[in-house]
Amino acid sequence: MRKEKLKIGIYELTGCAGDALLIVDCEEDLINIFQAADIEAFLMAKSDNRDGELDVALVEGSVSTEKEKEELLDIRKRAKAVVAIGNCACVGGIQAAFLDKKEWEKNFKKVYGNHKFSHAKPIQSKPIDAYVKVDHYLPGCPIGKEQFLATFARVLAGNPPDLYRFPVCVECKWNENDCLLNKDILCLGPLTLAGCGSICINHNLPCVGCWGPTEEANWTSEYHLLLEKGYDIEAIKKRMANYSGTRIAEFFEQFRKEKK
Amino acid sequence: MKRIAIDHLPRVEGNGGVFATVDGNVVTEVKFVINEGARLIERLTIGKTPEEDVSIVPRICAICTLSHKNAVLRAMENALGVKVPPKVTLLRELMHTGEFVESHSLHVFYLALPDYVGFPNAIAMASKFPFEVKIALEMKQFGNHIMKTLSGRYIHGENPVIGGFGKYPTREELVWVKNRAVQFMPFVFRTVELFCGLNYPTVPEADTVYACCNPEGGKYGLWGEEIILSTGEKIARDDYKSLTNEFLVPHSLCKRSRYRGNTYSVGALARLNILGERLEGEAGKMFKKYFNSHWKKNPLFHNAAQALEILFCFERIPELVDEILRYPENPPIVPYKAKNGKGTGLVEAPRGLLIHHYEIADGLVSDVDIITPTAQNAEEIERYCYLAAQKLLDEGQEEKIRDRMDLVVRAFDPCISCSVHMSEVRRVSEDNWKNRLADLIKTEPIFIGVGTEGRTDDRAGLDLALELRKAGIKAVYLESEIEENHIPENTVPRPFIFLDVVHMGEQPGKIVLLPLQHVFWNSVLSHRLLPSVSNRLSYEQIKNSYILGIQPESIEDGSQISPSVEEAIVKILEELKS
Repeated sequence: MRKEKLKIGIYELTGCAGDALLIVDCEEDLINIFQAADIEAFLMAKSDNRDGELDVALVEGSVSTEKEKEELLDIRKRAKAVVAIGNCACVGGIQAAFLDKKEWEKNFKKVYGNHKFSHAKPIQSKPIDAYVKVDHYLPGCPIGKEQFLATFARVLAGNPPDLYRFPVCVECKWNENDCLLNKDILCLGPLTLAGCGSICINHNLPCVGCWGPTEEANWTSEYHLLLEKGYDIEAIKKRMANYSGTRIAEFFEQFRKEKK
Repeated sequence: MKRIAIDHLPRVEGNGGVFATVDGNVVTEVKFVINEGARLIERLTIGKTPEEDVSIVPRICAICTLSHKNAVLRAMENALGVKVPPKVTLLRELMHTGEFVESHSLHVFYLALPDYVGFPNAIAMASKFPFEVKIALEMKQFGNHIMKTLSGRYIHGENPVIGGFGKYPTREELVWVKNRAVQFMPFVFRTVELFCGLNYPTVPEADTVYACCNPEGGKYGLWGEEIILSTGEKIARDDYKSLTNEFLVPHSLCKRSRYRGNTYSVGALARLNILGERLEGEAGKMFKKYFNSHWKKNPLFHNAAQALEILFCFERIPELVDEILRYPENPPIVPYKAKNGKGTGLVEAPRGLLIHHYEIADGLVSDVDIITPTAQNAEEIERYCYLAAQKLLDEGQEEKIRDRMDLVVRAFDPCISCSVHMSEVRRVSEDNWKNRLADLIKTEPIFIGVGTEGRTDDRAGLDLALELRKAGIKAVYLESEIEENHIPENTVPRPFIFLDVVHMGEQPGKIVLLPLQHVFWNSVLSHRLLPSVSNRLSYEQIKNSYILGIQPESIEDGSQISPSVEEAIVKILEELKS
């Protein structure tokens, strides 16, 4: 008996829409995606969108307004599984840089003053798991095409995604690049989750950390290495914070523990 | 109450909506709402190194990522005194051109065309236009390929850096790009013929001011060192604020812009209007063939303008590759020593003028100002949607309003993180003004009675103001009392409500509360209130002003007010007293 197609919804909260755009950029594969599953909702690509039951919801972007919070809660209710796609949904993205609520409020005021907003009441940007249970995370800023297609295929087959847990350095070695740290260039590769294909180092440029921190990093050795190279540890933390969103707090906590 | 609504305006790259409210024969409200949350990018980039910001800020928008990259690079290099070699500039132009091909082909074929040929999406459209859908996809892919070759990946590539590139494309890669561009030419001409020949509706049409970068050397191009307007005025790079004058509205987190109190348009249509005469080659010929007076005032021609720009890009790409190949050496990244400075970078993103401004102190970014095209177009989108809605209502074609507003919004191609997915037309009951007045009362409005005695109903506004005073309501003025620049100080954002008779083609005595802006935008509603008010109120005050209007029966000479208007005055009084 032929299995019924899975019902999939793709949603965009606050962000650059790069993850949805990357799905559109899959081009010929986009047609396959539309054939392999029933795409119930995908605002960037189609107008006949429906708000019904879903097997899988792919959610991009951080929750940054009350309205988005409600929308996300509704998506969660309708979906059997929720996949956070991209850095903003997974960890809050660049806009989650102000971790402290007071700090966020202060900066919000600097931009908007005491202006009252009648629609879409703004709230501090957070990753989607701040409000709903997330079944799978697909990191990246934006997500990578290969990992997306692999994850999509696995999810369609009812399997969890099989993603890298190791740092960018592993991919960098596969690509036979010279290590930039050996040239005294501050590269975040050793602390950053792999999956991008070590794209920056392939271009002779240091990793900017845009896939967020990896749990498998060897913190202690990295810390001593960077100290040895004469880097200011505050500068490293600041640089790591650019793309780590809310995960930076636990990252620093672990950093602190290992330092002891 | 009649309500026509769709929950989402799809195939626009972003998150927001347009809402129109209709009361009788009058459109009483049009709002371009942006639901996207605040990301505070201008704040979170402070305290970072210039290199970190060059990596972060293009994340504002995935579609315009390379426009943002080129804008931040131009601004940072101006601030830090970095001069890049010609090969770097040419490669940056090539990657910018790639983004234009990608963005414009995605927009015209996949987002805009389905509306004109009656399909819900491009994939469904493939049944009738298989050739267009297939080749357009290849064209978009080609644009993406250029972006990836030069920036490192499709979206948010990190290869372009301050002072140059991390890695240069090979000769083979560049020659492939050139040859592929030439192969596309027959389809490019077909694209121009298709979109320049589409039957664009004539509603809405209205004059406007266009703005874009002024490319150097009198050429057509995608960046420049100054801004040029369709009025002929020029604005130096660092004076950009005299064009943009940002301000806020309650229904959107996206800041708005206006120039000298007027809305203005940016984008492909703006570029064609201002710079079209400079186009050379086939693009120049096609411009002469298709450009006409409609392009000057109809925003729907954005799609035609984008098609002409696709042709411009496909002619430019082989030229650029030839120029780049004249420099076989790959220059190293230009180092810099400066720790302080400020600089502005102007580029044309596919959807219009994009401005980045940075200040750097002690090697760290200390001030950031970024003005996106959609933020500048937001006021225009609202104005043209209003004009379309009112005009269609006047012509008895209310059922067309929603789809037409969709067309207008989509034509502006609002960019991903600063835009739209919801369009709604709401018909409200004739008591609607009561609810809206009640909302306005909470913000402590200032009432101004407007009118002339001795011309029957024309005195209604004055009578009403005097009655309000009698009833003990404070902050009530008569038109004559504000004559000599005595418009009340309005430093706190308190709205003005002008009390007046307004010809709306309605039953006499009909009461409508509408934004003052609608009177400015719609010549049918205009009356003598305009010059006296517009000279004294700032644009922000005008945005925060309303007319509580009564449809008069007559304004001929005579002292007696009509019973229907008298009745309306009583109704308003009752409402305000309660």
